[in-house]
Amino acid sequence: MSTVWEAIRLVAATDVVIAILASSIYGLVVGCLPGLSATMATALLVPVTFYLSPIAAVATIISASAMAIFSGDIPGTLLRIPGTPASAAYTDEAYAMTRKGQPELALGICLWFSALGGIAGTISLVAMAPLLAEIAFSFSTFEYFWLAIMGLMCATLVARSSPVKAIAAMLLGLLVSCVGMENPGGVPRFTFGSTDLLGGIEVVPALVGAFAVSEVMRALLLPEPPKLARRRYGSIMAGQIALTKTYWRQMTRGNIVGIIIGVLPGAGADMAAWVSYAMSKRFSKEPEKFGTGHPEGLVEAGASNNASLASGWIPSLLFGIPGDTITAIAIGVLYMKGLNPGPTLFTERASSMYALYIIFLIANIIMIPLGIMMIRATSHVMRAPRASIMPVVLICAAVGAFATGNNLFAVLVVAAFGVIGYTMEANGYPVAAMVLGIVMGTMVEQSFVTSLIKSDGSVLPFFERPVSAVLAAMTFAALLWPVAAWLWRKNFRHPRLRSA
Amino acid sequence: MLVSDRVSGLALSALGAAAAYSGSQLPPVPGQQVGPSAFPTIIGIGLVLCGIMIAAGIGRSFEDEAEADLGSIEGSREALAAAPPPGLLRGLVALLPPALLVFYVLAVEQLGFVPTAAAMLVAIVLAFGGSVRLAIGLAAIAPILVHAVFYKLLRVPLPAGLLPMPW
Repeated sequence: MSTVWEAIRLVAATDVVIAILASSIYGLVVGCLPGLSATMATALLVPVTFYLSPIAAVATIISASAMAIFSGDIPGTLLRIPGTPASAAYTDEAYAMTRKGQPELALGICLWFSALGGIAGTISLVAMAPLLAEIAFSFSTFEYFWLAIMGLMCATLVARSSPVKAIAAMLLGLLVSCVGMENPGGVPRFTFGSTDLLGGIEVVPALVGAFAVSEVMRALLLPEPPKLARRRYGSIMAGQIALTKTYWRQMTRGNIVGIIIGVLPGAGADMAAWVSYAMSKRFSKEPEKFGTGHPEGLVEAGASNNASLASGWIPSLLFGIPGDTITAIAIGVLYMKGLNPGPTLFTERASSMYALYIIFLIANIIMIPLGIMMIRATSHVMRAPRASIMPVVLICAAVGAFATGNNLFAVLVVAAFGVIGYTMEANGYPVAAMVLGIVMGTMVEQSFVTSLIKSDGSVLPFFERPVSAVLAAMTFAALLWPVAAWLWRKNFRHPRLRSA
Repeated sequence: MLVSDRVSGLALSALGAAAAYSGSQLPPVPGQQVGPSAFPTIIGIGLVLCGIMIAAGIGRSFEDEAEADLGSIEGSREALAAAPPPGLLRGLVALLPPALLVFYVLAVEQLGFVPTAAAMLVAIVLAFGGSVRLAIGLAAIAPILVHAVFYKLLRVPLPAGLLPMPW
């Protein structure tokens, strides 16, 4: 019990409270601006977290990402432009409700079920993490190697792109992580004689470039999104309790699917929303209503994407393997703040972990009042011209990257990864897969080389321990899955299409 | 910058081959079988294989399906498809943000943070089609605010240059 009190004391500190409030508002505003995703909101926050206490730093990441995922639903509902990729799955449905004259109901569903989903995800985090920590204590480098590889494979599977391109993007990320002196031999690798490259390519500038600068570049070529007419909203929360009673099954299923997808390393909120929306339609008694402004799918998908956000922290905290791009950033912050991920985090820093759970709960509870305020203010926020927002994002990207190590080389890294991210996105290579490769590269290499040294160069021990054998089998299944899907489609679906 | 899968695939293969070759040339750790060369060599070989598969068009069907799914939803993609393909000059506009970042690296030590950021802001606001008034207004306010937050609150040593701030 004393740990819980200690945790409450940690969260109640003034700097933590201010951090939660300020980052919540920041997350809501950034999430609702089209083109600025939750990942980008988090990436731009990292330089700020350097200067905060560990708990406040983690609190900013948690609250900003949770708010941004909800807030992305607002422009999706009102303008049919998803504010974050995680809202894309059900944007059509929510917009159809707005056209039917029920924007309050649609936004209310997004808000209410996001908050409930976030709380469900938090409960799963509280329940599962300590149990898995027990298991994780017995893991050796073989298991860590397979876990990391499986995470990377999951990231390529869910990329909604060609799996070959996703794997290529992931390998490219791993190659980037090879740069520098931090390798088993301690020799300069791929540094081309540059002293700046000896320390390797830093993750944060690469992330800021790939997610923020590439977005500014893309925006330059796109027409400005339409403006939102000013309107008055009725009660946002009216009818939500009734909907919860009607659709509690869908909500629970959405929560569970979201939690499972979140726990899988590499798959995050975007995927959870797509899977849950599709599942809702598949199991619905009235699937013909989907797409016409029917709340059912919205409930399930909205419950799912926020649930995945909290459970995505499970692999991150236990193994240092990110659940999605947001936790990939969070892991960097955890290391920087001395909260190194691993099972010992739950025994030695238990009060910090409890504090983290409490922050998750608080963020999801204050999401409701802050969200209502945000919905009412949206038409003002979204009237800010893009020509004034994107330039500020660019300046923040430059200063933020500089702040990571106070050297100008980081700004060049941002520029380079802006170009790389933009080119990859334009040609169908998933940027998130590359980023996960960069984040996890060092860990994959270390566990791989250590394991090989232990086994005297033989690959057999990689499959001999029971857990590592299971993980290896899952990895190969993930690798072969696209082939199976392709064969299935070729043999079953296309003849039908042709005859139709 | 849109290139065909053939070009991007072959480029990746070439990169992979270069990585595998130069990786395998790294000096081994004495007395050990595996050293710093193992990982880049394997990744390089993987990239070569992926590149060849991409150039051959394997996996293309998955992309078409995802695009069909997204096409109806994501406004930005729709707009991209509807707009005429950007000409060379239009396409080059996209390179302005990274070019401005390079400008920042080259100029910030001499000019100082506030003037450099202001110049960048003017350029990019105009590129976005903003009015001159907006460009000047933003350039006058935003750099000073950013400087205050990062220099004063977060203690990032931003160079003062020609225009030192009073704090």
